[in-house]
Amino acid sequence: MKRAPLPTRRRHFGFAALALALTACSAAPPEAETPKTPTTAAPSATMAKAPPAPASPLDTRPALSTAKDFAPPPPEVWKTEQGITVWLVARKTLPIVSATWMVPVGSSADPPELPGLAHITADLLDEGAGSRGALQISTDLMDLGASFGISTRADGTSLSLVVLKKNFGEAFGIVADVLARPKLDGTEWKRLQDLWKNRLAKRGDDPEAVASLVATAAIYGPGTAYGHPTEGQTQASKKVNLAAVKDFYASHFGPEGLVLVVAGDITRADVDALLKKGFDGWKGGKAKSKLTPAPTSFAPASPLPRAILVDREDAPQAVVLVAKPGVTGSDPRLPLLQLVNTALGGSFTSRLNQNLREDHGWTYGARSAFSERRGQGLFSARAAVETSVTGPALGEMLKELDLMAKKGLSADELGKVRAQDRGDLVQTYEAVEDASERLAYLAMAGRSPTWDVEASRARQAATLAQLNALAAEYVDPKGGVIVVVGPKEDVLPALQKAGITDVAMWTEEGEPAK
Amino acid sequence: MPKKKTAALGVALAAVATSATVPALADAKLEIPFVRHTLDNGMTVILHEDHTLPLVTVNIAYKVGSRFERQKRTGFAHLFEHLMFMGTKRVPTKMFDAWMEAEGGWNNAWTSEDRTTYYDVAPAHALPLLLWMEADRLSTLGTDMTLAKLDAQRDVVRNERRQTSENEPYGKVELRLPELMYPEGHPYHHPVIGSHADLEAGTVDDVKGFFSDWYTPENASLVIAGDFDASATKATIAQYFGGIPKKTPPAAPPASDPRIGRVVRETLEDAVELSKLVIGWHSPKHFGAGDAELDLLAEVLTNGKASRLYKTLVYDKKLAQEVTAMQHSGDLSSQFVIEALARPGVSLDALEAAIDAELAKLLKEGVTDQELRRAQNQYETAFVLRLQSLHERASMLNAYQTALGDPGYVEEDLNRYRRVSGPGLLAQAKSTLDFGSRVILRVVPKPEKAEPAGKDPLGGRK
Repeated sequence: MKRAPLPTRRRHFGFAALALALTACSAAPPEAETPKTPTTAAPSATMAKAPPAPASPLDTRPALSTAKDFAPPPPEVWKTEQGITVWLVARKTLPIVSATWMVPVGSSADPPELPGLAHITADLLDEGAGSRGALQISTDLMDLGASFGISTRADGTSLSLVVLKKNFGEAFGIVADVLARPKLDGTEWKRLQDLWKNRLAKRGDDPEAVASLVATAAIYGPGTAYGHPTEGQTQASKKVNLAAVKDFYASHFGPEGLVLVVAGDITRADVDALLKKGFDGWKGGKAKSKLTPAPTSFAPASPLPRAILVDREDAPQAVVLVAKPGVTGSDPRLPLLQLVNTALGGSFTSRLNQNLREDHGWTYGARSAFSERRGQGLFSARAAVETSVTGPALGEMLKELDLMAKKGLSADELGKVRAQDRGDLVQTYEAVEDASERLAYLAMAGRSPTWDVEASRARQAATLAQLNALAAEYVDPKGGVIVVVGPKEDVLPALQKAGITDVAMWTEEGEPAK
Repeated sequence: MPKKKTAALGVALAAVATSATVPALADAKLEIPFVRHTLDNGMTVILHEDHTLPLVTVNIAYKVGSRFERQKRTGFAHLFEHLMFMGTKRVPTKMFDAWMEAEGGWNNAWTSEDRTTYYDVAPAHALPLLLWMEADRLSTLGTDMTLAKLDAQRDVVRNERRQTSENEPYGKVELRLPELMYPEGHPYHHPVIGSHADLEAGTVDDVKGFFSDWYTPENASLVIAGDFDASATKATIAQYFGGIPKKTPPAAPPASDPRIGRVVRETLEDAVELSKLVIGWHSPKHFGAGDAELDLLAEVLTNGKASRLYKTLVYDKKLAQEVTAMQHSGDLSSQFVIEALARPGVSLDALEAAIDAELAKLLKEGVTDQELRRAQNQYETAFVLRLQSLHERASMLNAYQTALGDPGYVEEDLNRYRRVSGPGLLAQAKSTLDFGSRVILRVVPKPEKAEPAGKDPLGGRK
């Protein structure tokens, strides 16, 4: 809630969130490094008269035991007669329950001429449903002390609820209406469409969002299933009407394929009873036949230039990003690629952050990630750097990627990233809403509920040779695209000076500029 | 997950269900069990044992923030926070992070006007390392400071300022608002991040002086939470922190009366599509009488589609795209701030008039029982949710300790919200929302540069 006293964080990225996959440990942690020689060293012979300086207990670095094994318990999984799959993490620690309904339909199911249709359909669900209007859904949930939200990504749409146990049943019923019995009312649609257009118009204000959107469009190809922005595009949003929304809902929302993740102080019998009460009789129309398969290949922008520049006049920083194709979310190589990434740009001591931030002071932070999608994912590295050092900063970023691709990780780095992997797994499922969000994300990416535990096991067993072969294939900057959002006046000459002359200008909407 | 011992989680909450249409706040009892002791050198130590996960966190709060900075050294408390990670003779540069990450841990820190807090989160076995590194930097960071370390983080912090304020839509508001809200010389007059000129001006001697003044055991409060053995950990703490000499910090810089007494107006330009209106009032300090009332007022005004300002401005009249209200609480005093984004074609005058009309209506009629209970219920859930995370519990213990000297204040904190009455909320709203004494800051899109036709074959940003 609203209590934070304007902190200025030392870092702008949460590492637990970045590492996105967590787990149990079977291997021993890395050997502790040898303690440094105490700096208050023994007096030399010439100082024999002086009494020896009392040794400080701080002069000796403590020896550590080894980390305890840990794995989060697997969720209980079952399927209802209606076809809804339930993943349950029962936990009695506090009287809270969190639930996430994951519909495996996201922006990749948008018709090519109507980008954003999945997003805005999901947005309209809670603007009136069952016997309630838009305002009453909001007030009734808030009266229960509930937090509720809807979000759409490329592969799915999630409805997320967290509330005290005593109010869970009532809140569940409201969300069931929202999902299964939305009104999709015309007046509310008109109101929502106006808000949507304005959101799209102001999206270009945010250079980080623009960089992500442009890179995604470039690699997948503008207008493709994964290549258009999930939230849609300004011009195309005018073509979306209520009839299209209603048809999209009827075609894609139903019990088939729905995964309900529940975490907290609740039993399977309680969940079954709530499902029966909330969803009995819900058939979902044409939904069964309309689950869109995830894209499994890339159709990059043609021609794909070496660099794409989005002009942002007078900006004090340029957002610099390098992206290239990755692997699917269920590819067994992805956990190992994520381990490579932890060393490259997935933690504070990663190479990119140490180089661009700690060694050069060019940025507040540099990072990289492999995205987790049901279809083909992306690799990207990024930093917001002071405009005047755009050229050198891009050079160092490319150098680090190249070095990782050519030489791979060191043995020390392998020890570190394995330890990070084990540590992450302990923390990811700590809060019930984090557990249900993460599990729903696994479901969205087409993975099993025990993916994180198995992925960690694979990481702990990975060899340097395996990791380095993957690094050579997936982080080599050759074939990747460079995206810069910054002032053209400064950035274009900097790119040219760095030998990058194949530069295309794109818009904030993720399309080549006309 | 390891089977937990009875009450091992260390958080107790007994909720009694009700079934009214708007359920009344339940008789929830929040508790974060702890033991506290003080070292001979004045350092406060708080232990919260919880064996649910094989995890520990170390949270150290120092009673220093941007309001303690000297003239011409704005941003120094936060810059200093960065320097705390730059190493010592025993823990050389980069090794604080490297050794922690090598055990699977991570760390972060934050600086506010009032406080600087550092926290480490790691697998339980790493606790001795965390305590050793924290004690080491508290004992020798200042003596081991160099210009190279200072310069490195100066550049990082200046880029932090660029990224989070200057190149962020509407980010200039948080740089300018404090200067308009508080008079020159007031400790809250400048933003926490500071100015580029002052960040550039800091010297190694400044760092050493700041460290010597404020980074003393007496000015620190150490919380250890998680999976550890209390008696062994107490011994380790005594061994590592006990030898650091006692030293009393200086008095905090004095604060003048910040009252505005008139309407202060200013307009900024930014690279944005929509115009924004920001209205700020002075309000009671954190935990002071009226502070909880204003937190709940903010909920009533802008949380949810039926909240007063959202419903009128966004839902019904379609004047605003977004609206938020917030009580920003501080140790000396607070700011109650309303922000609204105007829709295309809506003037900020019209938006301002509509906000004032809605506030006037609330000040005349007060809030309904249902609105009040709705806001209270949101707070109740938020409190319980925070208790799940070990890091959050450690943060709460230390926040209560440093602000009130009572780490066990969580239940009483929630009670502040439970006790608020409709008339009490209205009285506080009338006292704070004075139309004749406030800051009104506007942000408008900067004019586009005129570009000669045909000069720009590559196209670009509109």
